[in-house]
Amino acid sequence: MNASNDSADLEALFDSIASDYAPAVPAAAAPVAPPVQAAPVTAVGDSDDLQALFDSVAAETQASVPETCAEGGDDWPKQEAVFNRIGHMARALHDTLGQLGYDKVLEKTMAVLPDAKDRLAYVANLTEQAACRVLNATDIAGPLVDDIENSSRALGERWDKVFANQASTEEFKLLAAETRAFLKEQLPQKTQATHGQLTEIMMAQDFQDLTGQVIKKIVSLAQELESGLMGLLIEVLPETKRTEEVASLMNGPVVNAEGRTDVVVNQEQVDDLLDSLGF
Amino acid sequence: MAADPKMRFLVVDDFSTMRRIVRNLLKELGFTNVDEAEDGAIALQKLQGGGFEFVVTDWNMPNMDGLTLLQTIRATPNLKHLPVLMITAEAKKENIIAAAQAGASGYIVKPFTAGTLSEKLNKIFEKMGQG
Repeated sequence: MNASNDSADLEALFDSIASDYAPAVPAAAAPVAPPVQAAPVTAVGDSDDLQALFDSVAAETQASVPETCAEGGDDWPKQEAVFNRIGHMARALHDTLGQLGYDKVLEKTMAVLPDAKDRLAYVANLTEQAACRVLNATDIAGPLVDDIENSSRALGERWDKVFANQASTEEFKLLAAETRAFLKEQLPQKTQATHGQLTEIMMAQDFQDLTGQVIKKIVSLAQELESGLMGLLIEVLPETKRTEEVASLMNGPVVNAEGRTDVVVNQEQVDDLLDSLGF
Repeated sequence: MAADPKMRFLVVDDFSTMRRIVRNLLKELGFTNVDEAEDGAIALQKLQGGGFEFVVTDWNMPNMDGLTLLQTIRATPNLKHLPVLMITAEAKKENIIAAAQAGASGYIVKPFTAGTLSEKLNKIFEKMGQG
């Protein structure tokens, strides 16, 4: 098997790439890593693992498509360029991660991400339940309040008749009795039931305590992940790519509008914008 | 033009809570003839079935988003006259401009109030009365 030959080639390739690349890694690496020329292969602890991975990949490639490698003809230089680039990127990424200690950060983060997903699902679940409880409560309380309003108005109109001397003594007596019953029974019953629904609405807010704790944990996780990835991106991304903005029409709510001129913060601004455009 | 309380609304949003809130607000404004759809594709199916006179839609939804729904409505001869009010969390200026250019009848950003909904509906009814 000539896999070992091949991996020696690969190794040489990576070495040359790494030494090419190393001077381009700016001073940021200095506090952590040994000087640039020494860095490439031997310095990083788990380059053995990496080596093994490359070996196995190389062996597979060798076994499955022998012709391509042996007598590639005109196509090979192109493919080689692609493989070179990929090898270049993989090594650069690996070395940078190792040198900056991000491999450990990322490893830790990857381990807690599934947990974060569960936590967010829990938040979505609790908030949905709360929304349902509140909407149910308003559905129940609404008709109760409507009843109180309608009954009061009906009684009031009948009392207007009494005061206008348009009611008989019998009607007056009946009205007085009904009003008494309304005040002593129907009204307190309905206000108590409404109060019960208000309590239900209040209690439905208990999710905030639970989701608040969960969200705080996820925010700190996201911050760790962000700073790790940002540092990594700054290391490996060419200068010109750094400022390219992601343009999309589906961004969801604007969480922080401060200092942004491309978003509106209230309905007035929406209306003004549309007016200014003649819509 | 006084709006017909029997006017049939289609409320399109992928969150059932939001659909319920919009439905309740419409009810308070006197419109009880309301149907719901959970994304643009389902909305389009229901609209093709006929009988709807007003569409209230979210933007960001699976399967078919609100802008595509709006564009499709405007490109469909038997639907293009329908008023379409967008209620969405998308607050970038280019979103609002894109919606207006696609022929939205109104644009409301979330979170919104009952007053805003009422005002925008009335404005659209006025325009419909003139047209």
